[in-house]
Amino acid sequence: MDGTHSRPVPTAPWPLRRIVSRTGFYVLVTLLGAFFAVPMLWLLFAPFDVQPTLAAEVPHWTLDNFRRVLENPFALASLRNSVFLAVQTMVLIVAAAALCSYALSRVRFPGRDMLLYVLLLFSAVVSGTAAMVPLFQLVNKMRLIDTYMGVVLVLSGGLLPAAIFILKDFMDTLPSSYEESAIVFGASPVQVLRDVVVPVVRPGLAVIAVWALVNVWGDFLMPFILLRSPDLQPGSVVMFNFYTEGGQANLKLISAFSFLYSIPVVAMYLFVNLRYGFRFYGGIKA
Amino acid sequence: MAKVELRRVTKTFTGGVTAVDGLDLTIEEGEFFALLGPSGCGKTTLLRMIAGLESPTTGTIWIDGTDVTHISPGNRDVAMVFQDYALYPHMTVADNISYPLKVRKVAKEERHQKAAEVGASLQLQELLDRRPGQLSGGQQQRVAVARAVAYEPRLFLFDEPLSNLDARLRLEARTFLKRLQKELGVTALYVTHDQSEALALADRIAVMKDGRIMQLDTPAAIYNRPTSLFVASFIGSVPMNLLSATVDGDLGVGSWRLPVPAEVRGVVSDGQEVVVGIRPEHARLVDGAGDARVTGAVSVVELLGNEYLVTVEDGGRQFQAVSDAAPDIGDRRQATFAADRALLYRASDGALIAAESPAAERRPSTA
Repeated sequence: MDGTHSRPVPTAPWPLRRIVSRTGFYVLVTLLGAFFAVPMLWLLFAPFDVQPTLAAEVPHWTLDNFRRVLENPFALASLRNSVFLAVQTMVLIVAAAALCSYALSRVRFPGRDMLLYVLLLFSAVVSGTAAMVPLFQLVNKMRLIDTYMGVVLVLSGGLLPAAIFILKDFMDTLPSSYEESAIVFGASPVQVLRDVVVPVVRPGLAVIAVWALVNVWGDFLMPFILLRSPDLQPGSVVMFNFYTEGGQANLKLISAFSFLYSIPVVAMYLFVNLRYGFRFYGGIKA
Repeated sequence: MAKVELRRVTKTFTGGVTAVDGLDLTIEEGEFFALLGPSGCGKTTLLRMIAGLESPTTGTIWIDGTDVTHISPGNRDVAMVFQDYALYPHMTVADNISYPLKVRKVAKEERHQKAAEVGASLQLQELLDRRPGQLSGGQQQRVAVARAVAYEPRLFLFDEPLSNLDARLRLEARTFLKRLQKELGVTALYVTHDQSEALALADRIAVMKDGRIMQLDTPAAIYNRPTSLFVASFIGSVPMNLLSATVDGDLGVGSWRLPVPAEVRGVVSDGQEVVVGIRPEHARLVDGAGDARVTGAVSVVELLGNEYLVTVEDGGRQFQAVSDAAPDIGDRRQATFAADRALLYRASDGALIAAESPAAERRPSTA
């Protein structure tokens, strides 16, 4: 039975049971991998196909689909809107989460951890479908419908608790002697934050920034509900409107636009991976 | 160069733990003063109150005749060296050393000049462009000291700065710190749990326990004449022999007969329960029974370097003494010591029995 495979085995030959279970495992993994790879392949091939369908197949090459995207009045502007929206939200989240997590990490008060967990729990609801109607009414009352301010505030509110939670773990690892030594040398709280805390937790801030950008970039529901004007809408919403004259989904536009839409996220992943090596920090309590 | 005074300083933390309990203390100008005690005795809390990182619950702190109790840390003109050094990992050594000047908004060129100057005086000139993570423990420790020196404070506060170094480096750093402090002439307050460090470095030592000072004196006095059983057992690389005894003309420790030290002969009375303290360094193994005081079977022999530390046992009692030659385990040997080297403590409260002033008035209970 050891003739069935040619790998050098240092000790005894493998028993049959082990070979069978190994083979089964690899078959399963391959199937699972294929299942997740097919949509990716579609995204790679369909934009370059003369007549894209919903199947992932080797294309008849063309760049015509991209020409159509460029000619579409809303497509490129919406990508710019997406960047605008994501960057604004990211800046707000990083700034607010940094200050908030620092305070939560340093000041002990009764119910501190409970507060964090409750916020985290509710945040899943806040920017989700469950709170859609009250959120709309709230933003409407604040006269922020059809403004980026409204979308930025709602998205930030939803993402902040998780951002604070993750960042607080980074802040907790910062020895208090770092700040105390600066304080004894006469540094003001702002100087301590700027000179000591922020530089030391910079990887944490980067994690939060990327995570916020990606979340906002891919968010559909909030801008869809809160923005009216077509020229304000981000890529995720504009894509929803790509139909042919016959009312069918315009796969040529959608595939090419999706391709462009995913480039910033992939680029950012590569950048972060290069810069920080995607070590996973914080966020997980031992 | 500052004189530090603490008046009736008490610190009670939320939760009711009293870390420092009504403490009075004066540290003289230019003095190297050590706060020594086991962990939890309040020594670090005391240091942090002087730095301004904690505020006393009651009492006042004075530096050079100014009440600094409610003055912020940055305005006290003190520099602190932390146990973990607190070097900023994202700054170079030069930036770390000159950070106190950056806080004072000194121009960059002047800062770097000062860093180079201080760095050179502490043998750090080759390392100025490195990051703390690239330095050895000893080098990091020197950078932390250099940063404090660059601040030019009137008071140095050291919070166990050598405890993260290995034994050999610790000895080197100790000598270096002492020389530096004498050169600069700046008052230094040094917190440690290591009695040998305190003995080696300090001009004066305060031994603390449970938020109070048990004894405040020069290292030599604390070593030679600890005024309580607590201090006696805490001070000394080799623990002091402490033997329970009953006064009956001599001192009876089981079968051992020890002489009553001359100075307290009139103070103790027959039948009194006492504890006899003799440092092993002051007791020697001897040949022949001539002036022997302690006899027992050799159970442990440890090499100290230039001599041996020998433990003899008799009837469950142990006695340690030094010897030039290593005796055989199991041999019955005699040890002796000069009668005036022995200290007597009252068994009831652990206070030193002294010749003149009655011991009861001098020491609080250590029980």
